[in-house]
Amino acid sequence: MNTFRNPYLNWLAEHPVLAAFVLLGIAGLFLTILPILLYLTPIRKVPLRYNLRNLQNRWKTTLVTALAFTAVTGLLTFMLSFVKGMDRLIASSGDPGNVMVMSDGAVDEAFSNLPAFSVKLLPKDLQDEIVLASQEVYVVVMYMIPDPVPGGRTRRFVQLRGLDDMKVAAEIHGVKLGRGDWPSAGGVREVQGAETALEVVIGHGIARDLASDVGKATLAPGDTLVLGPRKWVIVGVMEEGSASFGSEIWTRDRHVQENFGRENSYCSYVIRTGGAAKAKLAVELIKNFKRERNLQAVTERDYYAKMTDTSKQFSVASYLVAFILAIGGVLGIMNTMYAAISQRSKDIGVLRLMGYRRWQILLSFQFESMIIAILGGSIGCIGAYLLFDSTTVTSIISSGPGGGGKTVVLQLTFDLGVLGAGIVYCLLMGAIGGFIPAFSAMRLRPLESLK
Amino acid sequence: MFTRIYAQIAGDYVNLAATIIGLLAIVAGAAYILSNPRLFLLGLKNLRRNLLRTTLTSAAIGVLAFVITMIWTIIYFIDLIQVERSKDFKIIVTYKWSVPSQIPMTHADYLNPSSPKFLPELVDANGKKLYGPNDFMTWSFYGGTTDPNKVAPDTLVFFFVMHPEQIIPMMDDLGDLDPKLVKAMQENPQACLLGADKLKSLNKRVGDRFKLTSVNYKGIDLEFEIVGALPDGRYNASAIMRMDYFNNAFDLYKRNNNREHTLAHKRLNLIWIRVGDRDMFDKIGGIVEESPQFAPFLVKVETASSLIGSFLEAYRMIIWAMKWVLVPGMLLIMSLVMANAISITVRERRSEMAVMKVLGYSPNQVFLLILGEAIFVGAIAGLLAAGATYAFFNLKWGGIPFRIGFFPVFRIPEAALMWGLAIGTITAFVGSALPAWTARSVKVSEVFSKVA
Repeated sequence: MNTFRNPYLNWLAEHPVLAAFVLLGIAGLFLTILPILLYLTPIRKVPLRYNLRNLQNRWKTTLVTALAFTAVTGLLTFMLSFVKGMDRLIASSGDPGNVMVMSDGAVDEAFSNLPAFSVKLLPKDLQDEIVLASQEVYVVVMYMIPDPVPGGRTRRFVQLRGLDDMKVAAEIHGVKLGRGDWPSAGGVREVQGAETALEVVIGHGIARDLASDVGKATLAPGDTLVLGPRKWVIVGVMEEGSASFGSEIWTRDRHVQENFGRENSYCSYVIRTGGAAKAKLAVELIKNFKRERNLQAVTERDYYAKMTDTSKQFSVASYLVAFILAIGGVLGIMNTMYAAISQRSKDIGVLRLMGYRRWQILLSFQFESMIIAILGGSIGCIGAYLLFDSTTVTSIISSGPGGGGKTVVLQLTFDLGVLGAGIVYCLLMGAIGGFIPAFSAMRLRPLESLK
Repeated sequence: MFTRIYAQIAGDYVNLAATIIGLLAIVAGAAYILSNPRLFLLGLKNLRRNLLRTTLTSAAIGVLAFVITMIWTIIYFIDLIQVERSKDFKIIVTYKWSVPSQIPMTHADYLNPSSPKFLPELVDANGKKLYGPNDFMTWSFYGGTTDPNKVAPDTLVFFFVMHPEQIIPMMDDLGDLDPKLVKAMQENPQACLLGADKLKSLNKRVGDRFKLTSVNYKGIDLEFEIVGALPDGRYNASAIMRMDYFNNAFDLYKRNNNREHTLAHKRLNLIWIRVGDRDMFDKIGGIVEESPQFAPFLVKVETASSLIGSFLEAYRMIIWAMKWVLVPGMLLIMSLVMANAISITVRERRSEMAVMKVLGYSPNQVFLLILGEAIFVGAIAGLLAAGATYAFFNLKWGGIPFRIGFFPVFRIPEAALMWGLAIGTITAFVGSALPAWTARSVKVSEVFSKVA
């Protein structure tokens, strides 16, 4: 029910807890920005040198407080870099001109079951929209770790995608080879004498992941793996930046169908159309197209956009943890600033007698707490960046309960947004934590403080 | 409850260590109070003297202990479910080469001791079956939403689909389930049991009916009647329905649509078999994995913990980061907050320390005084924070609502109280040891010369 004419006020009335946080955030931003702005203006204020010298004199306290900020901000940026890496991976997965077709009722391609397909079976108006098409069978299979450490894990799940024409599929999905070649027409190669192995192209992320099991930096063309009942040989490695496909292994469709119980069946048809608008048109045409089995179609972008459940969950968890950590940080700096004020009550009296006004005292102490915060926070941001930037981690993207999920190899991303958020976060902590002690400093009477 | 707490402490080395540290802190604290009551009272007075600092420090320690308790609960639970059980050893039969395991219903016949198709290899030389009917269970998973326009956690229900008679003998922690509930399930094909949280999120009570639109078997939309609630605990967010109702729905689908559902022949997900011990697991596992009956959908046999471990593989690095980056980072912050507060205190009270020494207090007593103040604040704040986390999450949501894999919530164990006590004590000790040592080393002549 709308209580107010203004939609923002209605939103605040409907979400009181969120509104409280928003107001707190605005107050924090105000407390952060105001001292900075005032320090930049050419008005009379307590010299910054005074604060810096005090910080220098109390260097042990300054150091310990700043270190706490380093840890808090480092942890925040670490968590945000993970969320950012996941978001970036999802955003780069899926081409706006691509349409994914799955069997009706399947919530993910892993659960989809489709017969072999030909574009020629489709109505003429739909055929006209199709530039390229690929039939794909996707399975999550067992990878047996060679010579596992006793007591350690013996296997992994890896994602295997079977394609009827790998070069066409690569063009549709924007996948390029970094090393090696595409599989031969037969898709089989001799390895170690008379033994044969099925040819695969491996994603750069999973190549690094599986290589860690055998003490290598990455797997390379010529290396072999055991997936399910067969031996497979790597003939190519995907280029970096192949989105979620960098966590998959690609092979010929029939190899997957024959070895993993998917005889004559596919999971999805992926269609390349002339662009985003044509993709949406194709989705509508496919929805209206009835064969012996109903199809469901979705643009590839929408398919991956739904896979943000895990990312959202970690995002919320990261901000919640960051908020609670911030409370710790704020309380910590309050301790420091209260101690600083009690030690320097005489200084405050002198400053007041020198003609500095109350708000100038408040500004001075608040700025001091922000200096400690920015000092520690910057080190935290830089430290986390140096330690973890571009670190490869295995994670999962999913569309929530009942939906699909994909194991992905992503990189922790410390971009300007993440580092900026870290700096703003520590400034906010410094400003909020410093405000109450600074306010109490402001209220000291000059003569009483000199006693 | 005490049995549960004992099991939590005895079954996990972190819980055991936390309990030992917590108990040591309590014993040491008691010894300190009894041997030096005046020193203890002096410490209390000191804490009260700067109530603002004490409050700020304990609040900072408290909020950090709150977060650590949350994070460690998730880590603890995930570690716990991957530990192999020595008793009640169950094995899981799933599709051999890929996941999700989707196998034909007919596979169950080969492994069901009550079925005429039971594998003869699973019968010993005396004609005795290697396991009985009460050691066997099948599972399918059926998920649906009460509101197809709003597929959200509060409208979703995921059912374990099984035969009601298998619930009591085979389901973990449901051995004490009221047999009347099983009977009610057997009498009504649409009967289901729901956990307390599910009942709450659906806003339903026992006796109510509801309809689900399936999210994993499109077109198989089913109606249910709630005949009972699952016991409070690990099944709070779970639900159980009848296997024959599920199977009949596929037959009905075929009749109404003149074709089989696309997943009709892949609707069995797991088969559970209870075996006596590891040797029997190896024996049965070997027979089942070698049997040609299951071709082309060959199966693999593994323990429950092994299967769960494989499913959680995608979360391995996240869990690693929680365990080895987040938690140590927070412990470091707690120690720094404490170090900051105590070092300020010591600096402000240097003259007081000098006076104490002049009055006859030994350096060790000064050291203990400062250390005692810090540990008192840390331990109490940690204990209260852990207690608050336990009460807040367990009472409000039945645990921490953070979905990892198929675990929707993580119930905070009672042993978490000891985590709070232990981390509060340790971080206070680490943070205050150096400032306390500085206080111990205060030189009377130096302090008084400065004062003079």
